[in-house]
Amino acid sequence: MRTFDRIAVLVALLAAWHAASLYFGAQWITTPWVTAQAFWRALMRGDLWHHGSYTLSAAVLGFLIGGIPGAGLPFVLRRMHTLRAVLDPYLVAGYGAPKVALTPLFIIWFGIGLASKVALVASVVFFLVFFVTSAGLASVDQKLIAAARVFGADARLIAREIVWPSAAPYVFTGLRIAAPYAIGTAVVGELISSNRGLGYSIQAAATDFDPAGIFVGVVALALVVTGLNAALGLLEARLLSWRPDDKTVERAQAAF
Amino acid sequence: MDMKAHAPFLEVEGLAKRFAAKAGRGESLSVIEDLSLSVSEGEFVTVVGPSGSGKSTLLNMLAQIDRPSAGSVRLRGETILGPQSGPLVPGWNCQIGYVTQEDNLLPWRRLEENILFPLRAQGRLDEAARERVAALVELAGLKGFERFYPSELSGGMRKRASLVRTLSYDPPVILMDEPFGALDAQTRMQLHADLLRMWNVKRKTIVFVTHDIAEAIALGDRVLVLSRAPAKVIAEHRVDIPRPREIDHLVLAPGFAALFDRIRQALI
Repeated sequence: MRTFDRIAVLVALLAAWHAASLYFGAQWITTPWVTAQAFWRALMRGDLWHHGSYTLSAAVLGFLIGGIPGAGLPFVLRRMHTLRAVLDPYLVAGYGAPKVALTPLFIIWFGIGLASKVALVASVVFFLVFFVTSAGLASVDQKLIAAARVFGADARLIAREIVWPSAAPYVFTGLRIAAPYAIGTAVVGELISSNRGLGYSIQAAATDFDPAGIFVGVVALALVVTGLNAALGLLEARLLSWRPDDKTVERAQAAF
Repeated sequence: MDMKAHAPFLEVEGLAKRFAAKAGRGESLSVIEDLSLSVSEGEFVTVVGPSGSGKSTLLNMLAQIDRPSAGSVRLRGETILGPQSGPLVPGWNCQIGYVTQEDNLLPWRRLEENILFPLRAQGRLDEAARERVAALVELAGLKGFERFYPSELSGGMRKRASLVRTLSYDPPVILMDEPFGALDAQTRMQLHADLLRMWNVKRKTIVFVTHDIAEAIALGDRVLVLSRAPAKVIAEHRVDIPRPREIDHLVLAPGFAALFDRIRQALI
C-alpha cells in the first residue's frame, strides 16, 4: 500500500513538473522526459560518474572528518563541566556562523581542488553532529544512572551501558541530518570554484544556458542524498534494534 | 535476651532535608525535619505518609543518592551517612538495595541482561549466581520472558523484573519507594503476594514507602506514619496479623479494619 502511494505521489510530482514546463516554456523548465533523456546520456557518457564521484568523495570525506569528532567530542567533554562551559559560546558561534562565507578562505588555504570542499563540508558537519549529540547526552535519564550506581556500577560501565546507548539514537539523528548538508555543502563549494563535481556541472550548464543539464545535476543530487539516507537508516536499524517498532508493540499486545 | 534481634540494624537519627530557597524568595523549604526511625534485622517496615511528605527524599538519602542537611544514618551501628561525611556512596557498597517507583530497566537490554546487570557490575556473575537468579526469575513468574525487551513486557512484569534485579545480588537492606504505585489493583495484589513469598525465602530488612494504608498494613511488620512536610514520624503501629498472610483475604483479618482506621486518623 505504501509503495503504491509513493508511486502515486511520484506520478503527481512528475505531472506537476510537466505542467509547469508547459506553462512557463521548456526553455526555462525542462520537461521530465527531456531531463530523463539527458540524464541517461550523461550516465552513458560517464559524465555523471565523473562529477558525481567527485562530489560524493568531498561529501563523504568531509562527513567523516567533521562527523567523527562531532560525535566524539561531546562524550569527552561530558564530565568536564568547566571546560564545556568555557568553550560553549565559541561552539555556538561556530555553529551559527555561515560556513559558506568561509569558502574563499578555504580556497586560499587548500586550493580549488577536493581539499577545500572537504574542509568546508567538515566545518558544517562537525557543528551539526556536535550539537545534536550534546542534546542526546543531556537527555540521558539520570534515574537510570542513579539506579546503576546503587547496584555498584562504576563510571566506565555506566558510560558503556547507559550513556552510550541513550545517546546513540541522537548521534544517528545528527549524522542523518548532516548527510544531506554534506552533499549540499560540497555542491556549494563546487559552485563557487571548481573544475569537477555536480556543482561544477550545474554551473557549467547554467553558463551554457542548458536548463536540462541543471535539472540532470539536481536530480542526480536528489538520488545521491536519498541513497545516503537509506544507507544510514539501515545502519541505524541494525545498531539500535532494541527500539520498539510497530511490530514489537503488536506482538506485546498479542501476548497480554 | 537475644541481643541480635533487638539491636537496631538500620538507624536514622534527626534526619533533615532542606532545600535552599532562591535568592530573595523567602525562607528555605524544609521537606524533612528531625526524622528518626530504627529498623531491626529482617524486619519489614512500611512507611505511610501523605503525598508530598518527603517519602522519596527519605529513601534517596538512605540510598545515598541525596545528602541530608542534618542527622545521621547508621547501619549495624556504623555511621554511614551524615551531613559532614565524605562523598556519597550510593547503595553503600551494595549493602543497600533500592527499588524505585519507576522500574529503571535499561530499554536496550533484554530482561535477563537487566536482571543480571548488578551482579555483572559487581563482578559476581558466576554459575552459582546465574542459578540463583534463574530460581528467582521462576519464583517471580518471569520464566520464558528472559529474551524480551522491557518495552515488550507489561507494567507488572517490568516491576517484577526490577524487584528480582535487586533481590538477585542479595543486599541486606532493601528500600522500596511505592514500587507498585502505577499498577492496577489486581496486578498490585498479585505483586504483594509475590513480594511476600520472595521475602519469606530470605528475610531481608525492608523499608517500604507508600501512600496506600492497606498496602502498608498488608506487607509490614510495623507501620510508621509520617506527617505532612516537614515530615517526621508521628505514629507507629505494630501489625499483629500473622504470617504467612493471605493477601486476598487480608481485609477480613481481625484487627485490619481497626488498624486501617487508626492510621487514617493519624494521617488527617
